[in-house]
Amino acid sequence: MFPTALKIVEDNKLLIEWSDGLKYVYSFGELRDQCPCASCRVKRDKQDDRQPATLLSVLTAAEARPLRIEGIKPIGNYAYGIAFSDGHNTGIYSLEFLRTLGTRIL
Amino acid sequence: MNISNPPGGSSQRIVLPGVKQTIAVASGKGGVGKSTVAANLALALRMQGHQVGLMDADIYGPSIPIMMGLGMIDQKTTAFPIEKYGLKLVSMGFVVAPDQAMIWRGPMVHKAITQFLTGINWGELDYLVIDLPPGTGDAQLTLTQTAPLSGAVVVTTPQDVSLIDARKGLKMFQQVRVPVLGIVENMSYFICHRCGERHEIFRHGGGTRCAEELGVPFLGAIPLDPTVALQGDLGEPIVHSHPDSAIAQAYLTLATAVKAQVEAMQSEFRLPTLEFHE
Repeated sequence: MFPTALKIVEDNKLLIEWSDGLKYVYSFGELRDQCPCASCRVKRDKQDDRQPATLLSVLTAAEARPLRIEGIKPIGNYAYGIAFSDGHNTGIYSLEFLRTLGTRIL
Repeated sequence: MNISNPPGGSSQRIVLPGVKQTIAVASGKGGVGKSTVAANLALALRMQGHQVGLMDADIYGPSIPIMMGLGMIDQKTTAFPIEKYGLKLVSMGFVVAPDQAMIWRGPMVHKAITQFLTGINWGELDYLVIDLPPGTGDAQLTLTQTAPLSGAVVVTTPQDVSLIDARKGLKMFQQVRVPVLGIVENMSYFICHRCGERHEIFRHGGGTRCAEELGVPFLGAIPLDPTVALQGDLGEPIVHSHPDSAIAQAYLTLATAVKAQVEAMQSEFRLPTLEFHE
């Protein structure tokens, strides 16, 4: 199973059409929140341990703007790398992982 | 807007316009004769009339220079790739002394392999054979993420201790969606020069079983022969030095099987992209 087309819809969502005919839509926020890179995973794992002082961290200007996707590039034949407007671009989203995210619309 | 800093480092897909097919020769385990198979496979393809390059991606332990009878190269006077026996060659062994250890972390290996692919004028090639280091580490990841691999040949010896790692190598290629062209069983058996009897020194049939188990083609069995090791050390691989020998014939058969698999798996499959504009 592999993507046959990628589109940006409603200005803030990514639509992937898959070879089995299914279509999945992903909000930029969900993709960013689920970033599989090592540092984002560690951050997510530590969510439960967060102290009140770190809950209201100061956002950078890039983080404060509405999140956008600035680039999507295939990684080999098995994944996509996504560059977000907050400057983060190290996540490698395998096709299998992408199929577990998003909302199926067809 | 295009990605200025590509995700996962500089994993931009490399395009090799003059190279028709790129074949990785890999193994899970070291010492199974991967470089010997890569060198002889490349020469067999050359003998079948193709333009062939051989890239030694084993940065830490390059063995192609010695197998091809070449030493270090003065880059000020000699341009890569080096030509020998009709093959175009590149290896870290051409620029680093044999007694010098390469103590590099992954990003440096990534950089070296990327330079081998993009910084060298490979010209027009029918096949670029890439001799990978053992395992499933940085070199493999760089190649599977960036190089336009037509497929991978997995080399194993017949015994379980080698097969267990061959399976890992094979699974890696399947996981990153690089077609596995098949398994080669090296050192498969030994024909005694005195009595003519066949001895299965490292057991036999493991490669076939592994191929059946994982649903990939079995490309062939290469016999164990001391002349192969000798010719490697002398710098003239057996396919070139003894083209009529049984073992050279086994390599020619292997080359034919590999070509057939490349043809069969020929696909222009590329993940779709999405262009971003300012």
